[in-house]
Amino acid sequence: MKRLEGKHILITGASQGLGRRLAIDFAREGAGGIAITARNVEALGEVRDRVREAASATRVVVIGADLSRQEEIERVVATTLSEFGGRLDALVNNASALGPTPMPYLLDYPLEDFRGVIEVNLIAPYLLIKKALPAMVESGGSIINVTSDAGRIGYPGWGAYGISKFGIEGMSQTWAAELEDSGVRVNWVDPGEMNTAMHRAAEPEEDPSEWADPADVTEVFIYLASDQSRDVSGQRFQAQEENWGRANEDAASE
Amino acid sequence: MSGPFSFTLPPELQAKEPPERRGLARDQVRLMVIDRGTGQVAHTRFDHLGEFLRAGDLLVFNTSRTLPASLTGCGAQGGPCIEVRLAEHLPDDCWLALLLCQKGDPFSCGLRSGMAVSFGEGLIGTVEDRDERIPRLWRMRFSKSGTELVDLIYRLGRPIRYEYVSAPWDLDYYQTVYAQEPGSAEMPSAGRAFTWKLLFDLRRRGVETAYVLLHTSLSSYMDDELDAQRPASEEEYLVGERAAQKVNRAHERGARVIAVGTTVVRTLESVADESGKIQSGHGYTRLKITADHRLRAVDGLLTGLHEPEASHLDLLTAFLPAEKIEQAYCEAVERKYLWHEFGDLNLIT
Repeated sequence: MKRLEGKHILITGASQGLGRRLAIDFAREGAGGIAITARNVEALGEVRDRVREAASATRVVVIGADLSRQEEIERVVATTLSEFGGRLDALVNNASALGPTPMPYLLDYPLEDFRGVIEVNLIAPYLLIKKALPAMVESGGSIINVTSDAGRIGYPGWGAYGISKFGIEGMSQTWAAELEDSGVRVNWVDPGEMNTAMHRAAEPEEDPSEWADPADVTEVFIYLASDQSRDVSGQRFQAQEENWGRANEDAASE
Repeated sequence: MSGPFSFTLPPELQAKEPPERRGLARDQVRLMVIDRGTGQVAHTRFDHLGEFLRAGDLLVFNTSRTLPASLTGCGAQGGPCIEVRLAEHLPDDCWLALLLCQKGDPFSCGLRSGMAVSFGEGLIGTVEDRDERIPRLWRMRFSKSGTELVDLIYRLGRPIRYEYVSAPWDLDYYQTVYAQEPGSAEMPSAGRAFTWKLLFDLRRRGVETAYVLLHTSLSSYMDDELDAQRPASEEEYLVGERAAQKVNRAHERGARVIAVGTTVVRTLESVADESGKIQSGHGYTRLKITADHRLRAVDGLLTGLHEPEASHLDLLTAFLPAEKIEQAYCEAVERKYLWHEFGDLNLIT
C-alpha cells in the first residue's frame, strides 16, 4: 500500500521548486487529493498536469492566491475544504518570499519589503494552520512547516527571510505544544540547500550544481504526511542530514 | 403568525459588533443557563460553560463554514443592479437566492426570470423560477460550478449583514473557530464563542464532542410579512458515521446530547428514528420544530437569544414551556443581554 493512500493535502508555494516536487511525489504515494496554491496560476496548471501524469487518480485543485493578503487565505482554505468535503490530512507551509535581491543588510532593508516577507513567511502559515485545524482535529492530521538553516543562525544579508524562519521555528514549537494530545501533529523541516530559483536568486555567486535537487529531499515530507509519523510532533527535521538530523530517533530507517 | 410569547427587544440590546470589538475575548460573552428540570435560571460567563456540563456529556457542533454569501451584480444588458443573497445550494447545482434591488423598493426593479446578472470576474448568474414555498427566493444558475464557483464567491462576495450590525466586519468574524466546509448563508452562531482552549479544556474534563454539518439558509427574507410567517427553509445536512455512533453511544450510557445551535437540533432530529437512534446520512431537511415536537435525539441546547418573531423561538418550546422561556427572556432583557449573532448565549439543559 502506498504511504499517502487517500490522503488530502494542501501545499503552498507549489508552482515551482520544492512545493512543485512535493505535489508530484505525494501523488505518486497515492494521495487522494492535492490542493496546490501559489500566485502563478499558469505555473500551477503545469504542476497539475505533471501530477496527473504521475498519478491520474489524484484529484488536483489549483488555487491562485497571494498569501500576503489575509482574505486570500480564507479563500484558499474554504476552496480546499469545499473540494475535499471538509477533510484535510496534511498542510505543508512551503511558500516563502525571499525579499529584495541582492539581499540588503537589515540596516538598509526597506520596511515595506520587510513587512511583505513576514506576511508571507510567518503570518500566512499561522493563519493557514488556524483555519485548516478544524478539518484535522477529529481524524488527526499533520502540519509541516518549511524552515531553513537561516532560522537558526543569523546570517548577514538574510534579513527578513531569516527572521521569518526564526519565527517559523518558534511558532512551530508553540503550535506543537498547544496541540499536544489533540491528534494534530506539528513538525518543521529544513530542506537544506536546494537548487531552486529562490536559492539561485539568494546566492547568485554560488555553484547551484552543488545543491540538492528538490526531488532528493521529499522523503521526509512523505514520512511526516503519512501515518508512519502519527506519534511524532514538535520536532525539527533536516532533510539532507543523516537520520534527518534527529540524534536519538530511528525515523529515517522506517 | 405570532411567536410563542411576545416581548419587546430594546434596540440597544442588539449586538452591533463582534465581542472582540467590544473589548471582550470570543468566549467572554454572557451565558444564561436554564435548567429544564427545575426551571431555574443562572447567569454566568460563557467561559464557565464547563461548570454546567458533566463528564460524558456530548456536545454536537455544526461545522459549516460561512460563505461571503452576498454578491452584487448588474443586469448583463443594462438591467438593474441587485444584491444576491445566496440561501441554499440545490441538488441540481442551482442556488436559491434572495434578490434585492439596490435602488428604491428592494423588490420593484423588474426582477424576472431569464434575467442575466453579471458579478465580475466572468461570473454570470441567470435568474430562473421563483421558489414555490418561499416566493421571495429565486432559483439562480451560475456560469461556473463546483470549486471554481466557491473560489469566485470568496473573491466577490461579502458576509450578509443586517441593519443592526454597525460595520461591514470581515468574514473571519462570521466564522466559528471549528468551521470546515463552506456552505452556510449565515454563521451558525451558537458556537461562535468557543475557543480552542475551551474546547480542549472541556475535552480534558471528559466532555465529548461530535461534528455534523448543516448549511444554514437565510434568517430573513427582508419582507416583514413573509418573515412573520416563519416559513421553514430547506437545508442540506450531513451526519457522518462517527457522529451518529457518538450520539447513539451517549444515549446508551445515559449521557446528555447537547446541540450547539438550533441547526444541530434540526439535523439530529431529522435523522433520528422513533427510539432516538441516529442514522448517518446526507439529505435536505424541512423539519420545523415547535412545542408539539417530541425531542428524540437531543437533550440540551446551546443557542443565542432570539428575536420575538424568530422561528428559533418556536424551536425552544420543544425544550421548555413557553412561559419558562418568557420568564428567562425577561431576565435577559433586564440584565441587558445582547441579541443576535455577535451577542450572548443561552444554555438549556
